[in-house]
Amino acid sequence: MIEVCHISKSLPGGGKGPEGKSLPGGRKLLDDISFTVKKGEFVGILGASGAGKTLTLRCLNGLLKPDSGSILFNGQDICRAGKRQLRQLRERIGVVFQGNHLVKRLTALDNVLVGRLGQINTFRSLVYGFTDKEAAEAAKALEQVKVPQLASARAGSLSGGEMQRVAIARAIFQSPGLLLADEPISNLDPSNAKIIMKLIRPLAETMPVIGVFHQPDMTARYCTRVIALKEGRVVYDGSPHLSQEQLIDIYGEELRQIENQTYEHV
Amino acid sequence: MKASLGYTLPSDRLRQKATVSIVVSLGLVFACIYMGFDPSMIFTEFHFVADLASNMMPPDFSLFWMDKTIVMAIVESLSMAFLGTVVGGVLALGLAVLAARDTMPFRGVRLVARFVMQIVRVIPYLVVILVFVATVGVGAFAGMLTLVFMTAGNFGQLFMETIEASEKAPAEAIYSVGASRGQVIRYALFPQILPGLIANLFYAFDVNLRTGIALGIFGGGGVGFQLYMAMRVLHYRDAFALICLTVLLIVLMERVCDLLRKRLLGKGILK
Amino acid sequence: MNTYSLRRYRKYLLPMGCMALLTWLSALGCGVHLASAWRTFGTSIGYFSGLLVPDWSAFSDLWGPALNSIFISVVGTFGGAVISLFFGLAAASNIAPPWLRQCTRFLLSLERALPEIVIVLFLVAAFGMGPSSGVLALVIGSIGMLGKLFADAIEELDMGSLDAIKAVGANRLQVMVYGVWHQIVPTVVSYTLLRFEWSIRLSVALGAVGAGGIGLELNRSFQLLDYHRCCSALILVLVIIVLSERGSEYLRKKVNVGGTLK
Repeated sequence: MIEVCHISKSLPGGGKGPEGKSLPGGRKLLDDISFTVKKGEFVGILGASGAGKTLTLRCLNGLLKPDSGSILFNGQDICRAGKRQLRQLRERIGVVFQGNHLVKRLTALDNVLVGRLGQINTFRSLVYGFTDKEAAEAAKALEQVKVPQLASARAGSLSGGEMQRVAIARAIFQSPGLLLADEPISNLDPSNAKIIMKLIRPLAETMPVIGVFHQPDMTARYCTRVIALKEGRVVYDGSPHLSQEQLIDIYGEELRQIENQTYEHV
Repeated sequence: MKASLGYTLPSDRLRQKATVSIVVSLGLVFACIYMGFDPSMIFTEFHFVADLASNMMPPDFSLFWMDKTIVMAIVESLSMAFLGTVVGGVLALGLAVLAARDTMPFRGVRLVARFVMQIVRVIPYLVVILVFVATVGVGAFAGMLTLVFMTAGNFGQLFMETIEASEKAPAEAIYSVGASRGQVIRYALFPQILPGLIANLFYAFDVNLRTGIALGIFGGGGVGFQLYMAMRVLHYRDAFALICLTVLLIVLMERVCDLLRKRLLGKGILK
Repeated sequence: MNTYSLRRYRKYLLPMGCMALLTWLSALGCGVHLASAWRTFGTSIGYFSGLLVPDWSAFSDLWGPALNSIFISVVGTFGGAVISLFFGLAAASNIAPPWLRQCTRFLLSLERALPEIVIVLFLVAAFGMGPSSGVLALVIGSIGMLGKLFADAIEELDMGSLDAIKAVGANRLQVMVYGVWHQIVPTVVSYTLLRFEWSIRLSVALGAVGAGGIGLELNRSFQLLDYHRCCSALILVLVIIVLSERGSEYLRKKVNVGGTLK
């Protein structure tokens, strides 16, 4: 279970926002965000660009520290954790990124094995690597994501969908207590995206899963709960099925105009 | 093992890695023993280096205005490099034109030119300088001839590859209006390869400057010769001053060449 | 304006004139004496004809020094590569703090300006003649070139995969090995092998100055006017150079295609 309590983050005056747009000083990027996710829930975070979705996710992983508030996981506060504590916490948190996160020269199996790097002794990881038993478990993880035949293929030769599956296998191999996904399907074509969502969904039975998405239709179909952010604040927290009006409220007026435009042209 | 599982077992891979590491380590140890090189001597005999270094300090820069031959040596080194690059470059271009498939239709000539370039490239410059020194005497002339020789060989090969890698389409276009081979070379080929040529020539100048200094030690004249002489007579402080001069010269010339090259290629002096 | 008359070449007059002047001055600076050189050339070329015929009996005691030269290059290049890795890490903008990077890059460019021959002269003066000076000179000499090349390769790394490795809780050392090292291995091996080819050629000249090996034999036999022996040494040098080029090509292909991780 992970508990986010009132985290806020402001930009110091005159900085640049996550998309590189310069922001007026003191803008609140995250504004008193709170939510709790339990085992069994697959939460999708939606929102317009710059609303704070990715920032929130990075706070959950400890890549970013909010100005105030706390995130409790396993009884520890991620925001206050020291370096070593953070590493230990990260061993138990699996992350799937948008792309580009496999070591291309290593095989798919090796990339999965990387997942447990935090959990094994440094000396062992550098000198003689993983045991056969661990390799077998990693192969099983690859089976779970339905690509066991790619075990000895170099990660650089895989397609986008296959790479994401290996990334999920790596997260599974970690035996985490929490799974985070940062726009995992944004770079994939629709059929691959569906496959990935279908692979992530069952994982929610053993751990809380939180993912940032840009695709409300996907979250409607596969998530158990949706949290929507707008300008750094939680504006919606509930059923994954959002009405047209609610979507426009989240994504802003532009969406309505774009939708109207499309119909007019046709 | 691999076929049944679909991947190599980590234990197998560990065995492979261990074997390679052991073989390589043993090889290196054997090599060291054979040569009589003991790596620990860097630490045990370091005092020699310290002694020498203290002998070399402070560098005796008064050498430069007391002894006129140093200025002459600098001039010699620079001239050697310059002339070696220019003459060598011209020869290299000539050889390249004779050896490239696009510019030379006669296979026999091509083979001869390529053979000449191969021979020239493979002979170590030590032999060349020794021969020239014995022929035309000690001094910068021998060094310059050696540089011409080396530049012609190495850069001839490079220019030939550049010519063969150039685009054929402009050449075909100019052929189709009835131009002769010479005209095609001049109007289609040269404009394409000229920037690369000039960049390479600057690079050749840099290489020739360094090599020229090395050649000086074998009698080629210039700063290298002075340095060798200074070391020989144990004038270590002079030698250190010369080493500093060498480094300064090379770095300076690098900057100058950089600047010139940018100006030249930027303005587009293409004929 | 008639653009095809000869007048359009006028703008080249000044640069061409400068070039001609420089060329003439350089010729003076070198002490070029073409006419007399041509005369002596004719006579001496016959003299050196001895260089074209090898002394077959000399091969038996020349292969020892030849092996020496190869070993000097191997150990020197290998040692240089290992040390250059550290310099490369210190000179990469995405790994090292800016002050360290500036310092290291400056040192590396200084080192590149030092010809290896000068380094060998220094080492021979300190340690005396022998292969040790050669090996150390090669090690120091390769740091400049390899250090810069490695640093450039590290700077071009894909930092994204490093993030992922950090996200699983790996510590800095693990990130270095699994993230950085595995990405740069082919580049490292390629450059090291290229440097090895270069080192072989260098060790001939360095040998002549006192580092031992076949270069010393070459120089010695030449000075002693034993041109046949010199020819044998020359042939061995050619053999070594060709062998090293082939070997280096083969190993480079193996690493780039097969991706042997070491």
